[in-house]
Amino acid sequence: MKKVLVPYLLLAFIVCAACNKAPESTPETEDFAALEKIVLTDFTNNIALSGYLNLSINATKLNIALTNLNTTTNDANLAIAQQAWKDMRTVWEQSESYLFGPVEDNDYDPNMDTWPTDYVQLDSVLHSANSLTVTDIQGFTLSLRGFHPIEYIIFGENSSRTAAELTARQKTYMISLATDLTNTCNDLYLSWASAPVNFAQQVISAGSGSTKYAKKQEVFLALVDGLIGICEEVGEGKMKEPYDAQDPQIVESPYSGNSTTDFKNNITGLRNVYLGLNGGKGLKDLVAVKNKSLDNTIQSEITAAINSFDNISQPYGSAIISQRVQIQQTIDALGVLKETLEDELKPFVIQYIQD
Amino acid sequence: MKKFGVLVTLLTGIGGFTMCNKAGVFPDSGYDERLSGGIATAFDETSKSFSHEIPGLNDRDARIHELGDAAFEQTFVTAPAPVNSGLGPVFNNVSCISCHHNDGKGTPTAGFTTSSLLFRISIAGADAHGGPLSAPGFGGQLQDVSIFGKQAEVKMNITYSDLPVTYPDGSVVVLRKPAYNVLNPYQSLPAGFMISPRLAPPVFGLGLLENIPESTILSFADENDKDGDGISGKPNYVYDAFTKQTALGRFGLKANTPNILTQAAGAYNQDMGITSYVFPQESSYGQSQADGLGDDPELADSVLNSVHFYIKTLAVPARRNVTDVDVKRGQYLFTQINCSGCHKTTVQTGVDVNLPSVSNQRIQPFTDLLLHDMGDGLADNRPDFLASGSEWRTAPLWGIGLFEKTNGIPFYLHDGRARTIEEAILWHDGEAKKSKEAFMQLPKDDRDKVIRFLKSL
Repeated sequence: MKKVLVPYLLLAFIVCAACNKAPESTPETEDFAALEKIVLTDFTNNIALSGYLNLSINATKLNIALTNLNTTTNDANLAIAQQAWKDMRTVWEQSESYLFGPVEDNDYDPNMDTWPTDYVQLDSVLHSANSLTVTDIQGFTLSLRGFHPIEYIIFGENSSRTAAELTARQKTYMISLATDLTNTCNDLYLSWASAPVNFAQQVISAGSGSTKYAKKQEVFLALVDGLIGICEEVGEGKMKEPYDAQDPQIVESPYSGNSTTDFKNNITGLRNVYLGLNGGKGLKDLVAVKNKSLDNTIQSEITAAINSFDNISQPYGSAIISQRVQIQQTIDALGVLKETLEDELKPFVIQYIQD
Repeated sequence: MKKFGVLVTLLTGIGGFTMCNKAGVFPDSGYDERLSGGIATAFDETSKSFSHEIPGLNDRDARIHELGDAAFEQTFVTAPAPVNSGLGPVFNNVSCISCHHNDGKGTPTAGFTTSSLLFRISIAGADAHGGPLSAPGFGGQLQDVSIFGKQAEVKMNITYSDLPVTYPDGSVVVLRKPAYNVLNPYQSLPAGFMISPRLAPPVFGLGLLENIPESTILSFADENDKDGDGISGKPNYVYDAFTKQTALGRFGLKANTPNILTQAAGAYNQDMGITSYVFPQESSYGQSQADGLGDDPELADSVLNSVHFYIKTLAVPARRNVTDVDVKRGQYLFTQINCSGCHKTTVQTGVDVNLPSVSNQRIQPFTDLLLHDMGDGLADNRPDFLASGSEWRTAPLWGIGLFEKTNGIPFYLHDGRARTIEEAILWHDGEAKKSKEAFMQLPKDDRDKVIRFLKSL
């Protein structure tokens, strides 16, 4: 009987040993090429895959919260739904620091996050008797889908929505919107996690069999471009456009008052990619090996940019009028960071990562 | 002593004149082949490789480029709205970037949020300016999407059938042949209507193409094929809706647009339903679904001007692997089989003192910007100014090797029917038949090298 147990024990041991999570199996190494591979693997597992899985989970949570609000329409459930929207928004905004791969190839981004909201069409849709199933929603133009129409319904203008105000049509619409959003997020996650696209594998095998990336350098450049892109998007677009025009109407996420949090989460996402997450390696590990001074500069500029958001204490729509100095400081900090990424980190990648 | 003086003078003379080399006769080896756009070249091979500004812009110009970049991405919404007002009432898509994915091509579907394919429509005859005659009730383009409460002019049905092509060596490539059917018209379509599919082309490098002297383009023309190489090359002369004059057509898949300004304003107008100072009338003007609002022009002049400038100042991506022996061999064969008869390798731009980066540049656009008969397989059978139903403008090939990066899934040719560069080559016919057949005669190894060369662009 005892002898019979031995193979089972061995089998259990092998199975357990195989169940290793990527970050824990990451060995320390001085070999730069091996380190490059580890950074890509850790980015894929700890940031991209985990981020998109989290996004998908949060979409489901929002869907459940909105379903509960639909069933039992009271202010407590409305508050829960609003928090679920903000929670999902956090994950999404952080993932915007790596907008390459399926998210751009398959237009998942505009499907979820098109701005501005089309008030005229939204009102026409809500006042019509047309059916509002998920299939109907998917036939709508982008500005009638995704985060912002949901935001408009559950927060109302100036975040003043009460549960009693929600109409039956609004509730039907928000449920279909949330289902559409959940489907999009699931598709996005699956495009990284499984066949036929399996983009995670394309990134991890860059330079060694990937059909998308003949060299590891190409993925690293895509990563750095993503970081530069998000600095530009926040510093020169989302913040600067309403700031220059002094026009609150062109501020993104105005109904929830979540704009500044969105911006900060974008840059937090950038920090995650640079530093790595959950014990995994990040770009910093590569930079530090060859140019510690550059690594120090980038890290301190990221910290300065992220901290500077905390000085903007008012909702962004009013801050563009009353806290112009603070906003300018953040825009400047993002400009400095972008310049370093463009003029130093990108050339670093080109110089040192050639395989 | 006198003899010595004469000798020195002669030697100095010969030496001096020998060194007086004109720029035009510098050997090709003196140029860096990676610089497809001359100084207006960007070194990036990621999905953002079409999205870089040309180097050397001053701060003011760089700022306008930036504003144009932001405007290029803006989504339009139904009027009246505080931001980006004026979408529709009928349209094809909601922003420039929705069709020109990453400033490049898009997806050959029609009527969806991710679609980049649209259809022009006309009836027999020509309008007052020699252009296609609008289809009553539909205008010159089919808008297959509408705002809520209006009806899309039509819905397009696209199907493909297999078309196998066999090489002399026995290997087979299966092309997909498209069929386009117009469904659900909001009113009756006129008798004998003609349609033409157009997939959004890349928008980089256009400042350089606009700056090629007209005389250079005309020097490539050989309308009656006097040199007997089977390739004619015909300039299209088109109507400039802004200057109200006839001009040489350079842009658009049939060279039916004279410049970037009317190209961009035309896209706002026809693709999105946005009016501007160039096209102040709605695309649906005079039709039963016109919005009837007095809000035209819907686009601020400054926005159109910045988008115009943005497109004009997008750099060309640098070539890759230019020293690779296989790529070199492919490049040699490309010229040998006379692909370069139309896809002109090297062109010199004219002088533009306002924009030094596109001025006097030696560029490699791989186009002559002229019309060529491409055969029945590719024909849309719809004339467009001087372009016949089987003539298309030579597509610039720069950046073609990066479509896989910028587009996710790449598509080639005017309607995206080709899924690979090889398929695109095999669709060539008409004036390009000889070159295509020469390509097909090559051993597989050499064919692959031609494709490797094209992927280096």
